Amino acid sequence: MGLKTAFSNIAKVTVYLFLILLALLSLMPLYWMFVTALQLPEQVFSIPPKFVPTAIIEFFPLITSGEQAQAFFLLSEAFRSIKVLFTKVGLQHWFVNSLIVSVTATLGVLLFDSMAGYVFAKKKFPGRDFIFWLMISTMMIPGQVTLVPLFILIGKLGLKNSLGAVIFPPLAMVFGVFLMRQYMKTIPSELLEAAKIDGASEIAIYWKVIMPLSKPALATLGILTFMAVWNSFLWPLIILNKDYLYTLPVGLKTLQDKNLVDYGLLMSGASISAIPMILVFLFFQKYFIKGLTLGSVKG
Amino acid sequence: MINIRLLKAINKYKWDYLFLLPKFILFLIFIALPVLWAFVIAFQEYGIFETIWTGLDNFINTFTGDLFYIALWNTLRYTIIVVPSQVIIALILASLINPLNRKAQVFFRGAFYLPTVTSVVVIAMTWRWMYNSKGLINYLLSLFNLGPVNWLGSSDWALISIMLMSIITPPGVGIILYLANMGSIPESLFEAARIDGAGKFKTWLKITLPLVKPTTFYLTILGTIGSFQVFTQVLLLTDGGPGYATTTLVHLIYNSAFRDFDFGFAAAQAIILFMVILMFSLVQKKFLSSDIEY
Amino acid sequence: MKKLVLVLVGLVFFVMILVPSVMARDIKITIWDAPRWREQGNEDGDQFYWIKDRIAKFEELHPGVKVELVEVPWKELGEKLNIAIAGRDWPDIAPVDISGGTVKLKHLEQGVVEPLNSFFTEEELADFYSGALESYNYQGHLYGIPTSMTVHALMLNLDLFQERGVEPPKDGKWTWDQFVDKMKKLTFDRDGDGEIDVYGFSTYILKGYYEAWPFFLMDGARPLSPDNTTYTFDHPEAISAVEKFAALKFKHKVAPMEMGGADVGGTFQAFANKEQRTVAVQPWASWAIATLRTNEKYKTNFMVAEYPVGKSGKPVTIGGSGGFLVFKQSNPEKLKMVVEFAKFITDTEQQYTFAVNYGTFPARKSAQEMDPFKDNPQMQMAAKMLKDAITVPRHTNWAQIDERIQAQLQLVLNGEKTAEEALKDAGKQLERFLK
Repeated sequence: MGLKTAFSNIAKVTVYLFLILLALLSLMPLYWMFVTALQLPEQVFSIPPKFVPTAIIEFFPLITSGEQAQAFFLLSEAFRSIKVLFTKVGLQHWFVNSLIVSVTATLGVLLFDSMAGYVFAKKKFPGRDFIFWLMISTMMIPGQVTLVPLFILIGKLGLKNSLGAVIFPPLAMVFGVFLMRQYMKTIPSELLEAAKIDGASEIAIYWKVIMPLSKPALATLGILTFMAVWNSFLWPLIILNKDYLYTLPVGLKTLQDKNLVDYGLLMSGASISAIPMILVFLFFQKYFIKGLTLGSVKG
Repeated sequence: MINIRLLKAINKYKWDYLFLLPKFILFLIFIALPVLWAFVIAFQEYGIFETIWTGLDNFINTFTGDLFYIALWNTLRYTIIVVPSQVIIALILASLINPLNRKAQVFFRGAFYLPTVTSVVVIAMTWRWMYNSKGLINYLLSLFNLGPVNWLGSSDWALISIMLMSIITPPGVGIILYLANMGSIPESLFEAARIDGAGKFKTWLKITLPLVKPTTFYLTILGTIGSFQVFTQVLLLTDGGPGYATTTLVHLIYNSAFRDFDFGFAAAQAIILFMVILMFSLVQKKFLSSDIEY
Repeated sequence: MKKLVLVLVGLVFFVMILVPSVMARDIKITIWDAPRWREQGNEDGDQFYWIKDRIAKFEELHPGVKVELVEVPWKELGEKLNIAIAGRDWPDIAPVDISGGTVKLKHLEQGVVEPLNSFFTEEELADFYSGALESYNYQGHLYGIPTSMTVHALMLNLDLFQERGVEPPKDGKWTWDQFVDKMKKLTFDRDGDGEIDVYGFSTYILKGYYEAWPFFLMDGARPLSPDNTTYTFDHPEAISAVEKFAALKFKHKVAPMEMGGADVGGTFQAFANKEQRTVAVQPWASWAIATLRTNEKYKTNFMVAEYPVGKSGKPVTIGGSGGFLVFKQSNPEKLKMVVEFAKFITDTEQQYTFAVNYGTFPARKSAQEMDPFKDNPQMQMAAKMLKDAITVPRHTNWAQIDERIQAQLQLVLNGEKTAEEALKDAGKQLERFLK
């Protein structure tokens, strides 16, 4: 018995070690990005590579040995790339653009998709199934098919070179309607009936009954939409051609095309772009997970 | 008469239609119209000032040129290597994480999902730096007296480099879906297996594996659709080169549309891509979902 | 609750209404420019400071005129501009030529670019070198204002020549065999660890870049026939030249693994960065001369030499021209102002500034007369080469043709195809663009 427990403990430790090793491996690129971002410019290419930014290693020893000036100089050197990004490159514009685009698209998607999802789930009206089927059937079509027509269309609508060009296409995405409908189907219809008998208006039922009950699905859809728009690349790359309108991913590509070898600067830009998504993930982890599992349920 | 009846019907359901209207209009303008339009443009030579009907020329040119086949072959190789790797890695990791306690589950789930929340642009830029001839990976290889490898510059390695990036970036979505699926398998089934004296591996093989088949199927389809559209990492890491060693279908479409400005040609290629994806999904459905309705 | 709905709807449409910029009554000119030189003595300096300075001066001179600058990296310029043209959303001014690499000849025929003949007097035009004018002339119309001419040349790190006791080519002239011989001597293992530390030669292959191309032309080959209707880069004189070039890497082993890759920045760093300096000879366009002379980080003891002479018996190089195009305007009032601005940034003084700081040759005789290259032996050498420089073919689909040839050349330099296979394959792929 004792032997068996020992054996199972060893197995358990092995599993843990193995998982931790793999987790480290998969986090490695992100870690390396941050390290390069904060590395002193002249040490970016040093061999052997420095796995911790020099400024961070030497900061506290310098402070304790009383060389404050030197310590803070090192620190300011470490943040030099980041300073360049904000003072010379104008990364903050890209950041703000990404924020405007992602937040607006997310709010729009939440509102319109919950409205559409609601009637698809809870109402019966002529054409309902046809329209639903029509919308769902386009989910299979890869985005590349609409790339060229959409490009021409946006030009004709006069939306070119405005953030609107990046906001509208995601507003039309069908996935959210599907997700909301699936979730709202689980809301008992009796609740709606009761509200109706109490004399609630259609809007009140939607806003005061359906929406509060759909919070988990809304949170999920919101996060997934935000993430998709924040990270979207091909479409903004094509449709935006003024540097102050770029979103972060497009701006980063321009940065790469401009400074082919300044990896400190490139990695700083990449880090700044990655941090908000990492924070969103850390804070709302459970919605990410719920979103994935909800989204995969077939109706 | 009919008009009045129609109006009455519309009046009766006016709230329903009103609720649906914003989304439906957006859908019509930004999805339905472009999809239909794509099928028109594919038969045209679209110019800035004039557009000419060219019949099937764009399709014929796609199939007679050799670039399409190169791109298709690269895309297929990428898909065949990356999709099964990702699914298998997800399955193994989820199987290892599933028996752990709640806290450990949450931790590992988060650790493996985290790298995928950042954009492919960020990931690809980081890997481009690691693949640099004086970069991290060549340094690590040199510790074992290997390399240096011309990761992105040689035709032999360039596509492998792109695949490697996709494989090492952990399949966070897959792990989470497998975990959810495994969590919903009734404990009684494992109980029964234990009473029958089955070992852990046998239980996994006989019970877990068949019961997560829906997830395997879903991930394979999803992965295939995604892999067929691989683009961003190609553009940022190699831009299709060297030569055409990493030109994928979507990279080809992008080039045709926004470098050659052959809109009709690009639309035709996109439609062909759609058909290829559709075909693959159907084949996979046939092979993978034979017994379980999902 | 209705309010909340309204707020949400409002938020969504907020961007739609606000973002398309409000039409101003003033004249607004949009100019695209790409990075130029940095301000002297400021290594982190803004590479757009020249154009920003011009804009400020112009706005001062013309109240009510606003000039908007869009900064575009050179690498993206062609692509972005073509996307803008395809979407009929072009800027007013952009720094491109009309060789077909970026703006297509077809676009000129379609009227995307404004012809400027009527804005120049005969006298004004006489100030431009005929070669520069010719490169902006199409079917008798002057499209754009030439500002500069460039030429490709070999840059030789003289410190490395000295270290190895290798005599630099006299007057910058050498035959292919002499070139190979010197490259072999310049390739060496400095610290004796069994690994080569310095290579004789390196360059890269990338669409839109022609640093390596004079090598391919040295035996007398040209990519297209003189009338631009036939592909001729699969002729024996092209194959032999490409074979010889690839031999630098594979047979003579005087070039590093990266040679023939697509890494422009990395290649330059290997030559010029004080911390690297691992290549003795690289070909560059003349802008590099200015950088190698003045930039603290890249200051090098170097000379300029011709490309080695092959079977054609004459040195060959490729030249190009730079300038600004004015794009189609609907408002004649604005057109006048746009041209005014275009002239403002291409006058004699500006061309002189370009010549001094940017390593280009002025397109105006009056700027050349200001003698921008005194005490600059490297530019003087390059100027001699410019006289006989040839240009890349002017074909409306040159960008596509070029891309296909360059992709195949990369494969040769990777050792994956023979020169003959690659050049023949390129011919097959670009056939449809020659029609």
